[in-house]
Amino acid sequence: MTDQEIIGQILQGDLNRYKLLVERYQSIVFRTCMGFLHNKEDADDLTQDIFIQTYQTLSAYKGEASFSTWIYRITVNASLNKLRKSSKNPFLQRLENVFGSEKGKEYNFPVSDAENPETLIIQAERNEWVEKALNSLPEKQRTAIVLSKYDDLSQREIAVIMETTEGAVEALIQRAKANLREKLSALSKKKKN
Amino acid sequence: MNCQLCQKESDAYHSGNLSEGLRMQVEMHLEHCRDCSESFQLWAIADVVMEAEKAVKSNPFLVTRIMAGIEEMEHEGATRLRIPAYQKVLKPILISASLAAAIFIGVFVGSTYLPTGTVQRIPVELSYMNDAALESVDLYSQL
Repeated sequence: MTDQEIIGQILQGDLNRYKLLVERYQSIVFRTCMGFLHNKEDADDLTQDIFIQTYQTLSAYKGEASFSTWIYRITVNASLNKLRKSSKNPFLQRLENVFGSEKGKEYNFPVSDAENPETLIIQAERNEWVEKALNSLPEKQRTAIVLSKYDDLSQREIAVIMETTEGAVEALIQRAKANLREKLSALSKKKKN
Repeated sequence: MNCQLCQKESDAYHSGNLSEGLRMQVEMHLEHCRDCSESFQLWAIADVVMEAEKAVKSNPFLVTRIMAGIEEMEHEGATRLRIPAYQKVLKPILISASLAAAIFIGVFVGSTYLPTGTVQRIPVELSYMNDAALESVDLYSQL
């Protein structure tokens, strides 16, 4: 059954059909949220909000772009909005850092001695570097790199989602990578000093 | 190979999409260039972290949570629609009137209260006593 057929049935009042759409797109929405937020619980909550918001605005979907493109756009906008809101509340963020800094950070690092405390500390530190470096990128560069790295989308697909050209996406990704390298190098040097 | 070219091939090198010849050139450059070597290492770290985040799975009950949220929202919407308009106005009026009546009755009952015999009355003689004219104890203590 195609997305359009499912949406048609939902709009006719068959709410249960929406479950099919959620199951189909849940993983990509969650992965994208993870790319922006770097926290499992926050990504879970935002995924839930995005699907509820999508349901409420489903009648506005005209089918001009594919449903996946549409939901990617909603996800990117919702993630950026959440980040903007949290950056406006640095006090709340500091409180969260104090009381729940490691909340929801369940990563599966591909290392053999993951239980070694020293390795875990180094991994946590490196994770923080990458998170800081990614968060410091401008919004467009961050969006391009998240869609490319976390969702494995092609430059063409990213261009459709971001409503720009493939060339612009390529430039954004190159600049994002150069900025990431620069930031990571600065953080590494800071640590050494 | 120079640093610029080496950085350009960084992605292809990490994803293993580089030809044998280019890969060897990159590796030879990395052996001699400390900056490029460090940059490659940092990018490899970033790749590992991003891959680890990508592998995180969402809550297994997320679909159930989403569907429950939507059903609740739908139910609330339907209930809100079924309430007639006059009920929406009558309810706050009734609550406000009850509150006003409760306050009025409270004030009225309070003002009609009269004390009955439980309070000890002060003898009339005591009310004529002039405290200021009493002798001070200090006069005796200075002797």
